[in-house]
Amino acid sequence: MHVRESDLPGIGKKFVIETRGGDKAVVIIHDDGRREIYHFSYDDAEESVSMISMDDDEARQLAAIVGGLTYKPKALETIDIALDELIIEWYHIEPNYYGAGKSIGQLDVRQTSGATIIAVVEKNQGKQINPGPGVIITPGSTVVVAGERQQQRLFKQILLNGSG
Amino acid sequence: MNHLVFEVGLAIALIAAAGLISSKLRFSVIPFYILVGMAVGPHAMQWWHFDFRFIESAPLIEFMGRIGVLFLLFYLGLEFSVGRLIKSGRSIAVGGTIYIGINFTLGLLLGFLAGYPTAETLVIAGITTISSSAIVAKVLVDLKRTANAETEMILGIIMFEDVFLAVYISILSGLVLSGSSSIGGVLLSAVIALGFMLVVLIVGRQAVPLLNRLLNIRSNELFSLVIFGALFLLAGFSETIHVAEAIGALLLGLVLAETEHAKRIEHLILPFRDFFGAIFFFSFGLTIDPLALGGAIWLSLIAVIITLIGNYTAGMLAGRSAGLSSKASSNIGLTIVSRGEFSIILANLGKAGGLMTIIQPFAALYVLILAILGPLLTKESKHVYNFLNRIFKFKDSKSKKKADPIILNEDHS
Repeated sequence: MHVRESDLPGIGKKFVIETRGGDKAVVIIHDDGRREIYHFSYDDAEESVSMISMDDDEARQLAAIVGGLTYKPKALETIDIALDELIIEWYHIEPNYYGAGKSIGQLDVRQTSGATIIAVVEKNQGKQINPGPGVIITPGSTVVVAGERQQQRLFKQILLNGSG
Repeated sequence: MNHLVFEVGLAIALIAAAGLISSKLRFSVIPFYILVGMAVGPHAMQWWHFDFRFIESAPLIEFMGRIGVLFLLFYLGLEFSVGRLIKSGRSIAVGGTIYIGINFTLGLLLGFLAGYPTAETLVIAGITTISSSAIVAKVLVDLKRTANAETEMILGIIMFEDVFLAVYISILSGLVLSGSSSIGGVLLSAVIALGFMLVVLIVGRQAVPLLNRLLNIRSNELFSLVIFGALFLLAGFSETIHVAEAIGALLLGLVLAETEHAKRIEHLILPFRDFFGAIFFFSFGLTIDPLALGGAIWLSLIAVIITLIGNYTAGMLAGRSAGLSSKASSNIGLTIVSRGEFSIILANLGKAGGLMTIIQPFAALYVLILAILGPLLTKESKHVYNFLNRIFKFKDSKSKKKADPIILNEDHS
């Protein structure tokens, strides 16, 4: 997504947003707190096709909804839950990952990264809680990993490229 | 008997009524404030307790209007930031230069060809060059144009005009207010004015850390007293050295804008700016006798036409040079054509300097026409563009092919 920010002296601030899919929206934040979102069509960049105007509190509510604070979408790739130092993360395994198709023992993750795989959720919803070293990480599955931030970073590296 | 409070109350009620009517009609408030001011005055009637002649309170209303100018300019300075101007980029500098170049030259030509002396010509050129920031910003928001591509250019040009206005008023006030007739005297006073500006800005810049500490006042009451004291003192001091007091207010705004209290001051000033600003337009209307407008009609009409052509051309050139489509460029010229507060401030400067009396009714008519016409043209910019496109055939590779059949369809439905 591409965001361009510019000042509108005497009015407020303007954000031009172009999404990866080619949609274009413009957000105006007025100095008095009002927000406006304009939507532009593909072929006519001159005139907006629709717009929505909000108060400050309405805008915050919308931001919370869009930001997934009230309802988290199921398809999120990584959601981390931090318990003090310990972080639990979800990794969705893409077929091009180094670790895809290899067993947990082969990757030797606990020795090299310090992080522990606590569950593997496969594509067909088959779950492996506390998997042993023989379990294969198949592409398309989701791996749940516990560890500190540094360990998580190392783990991700191993998963993507082999031993960092 | 002294009925001052009642008279001022009557004036404010009239202004409020005019404002309510204008917002009902979805017009800019400025022309309505001026019109209601013109409608009353010494030529008006007195009915029972309601004295619409405002004879007793006229000096007081005029003074409140004068304060309005201070607040308008002070706020302008607060909102302005040099960093923002530098950041705004080359295309806006080019656009602004094109705009000022074309329109200021046209204004000077108008004054000279109509046979006015230099000082009057300079005031007229100033009146016709500077757009109304207030109307333009309001129109952009009201018509939901803020998201458009040309908006940055429009506001950039406005910002550019503000800088021009500051320098121009200071030179002009040296020239007009000093009352000296020799070229040397005029030059000297212009140099004093510019020097004063530079000194305030440079010293102000150095003093920002000190000001940050000094203005660290928790009590709102004391904070506002300090700010108002500084504002009136600096503005009043400017006046004593023949620099327009408006410039003093603007300079203080510029200096305080750099401090960390800028936002708090803005909040403090805003209601005062709105209130006294409205009285300023009313009091300007009050000084104008509607019967005296006749002498200025032709000059005003010619000036309006010149402004329309000059602004549209400048908007086109500025927009195209920044790579905007011809439709967006057309919007620039139609939006910045509105005139308002700054034209009237310049006209008042002429009055303070004892210039020819035609300037006042000229400015009144000119501002009234363009403050109403400008927003209308902006609103109907699509039709204006289609109409002009048929005559001039603006080169716009993409949209031109589609434009014609669409117009035909619209005509039939």
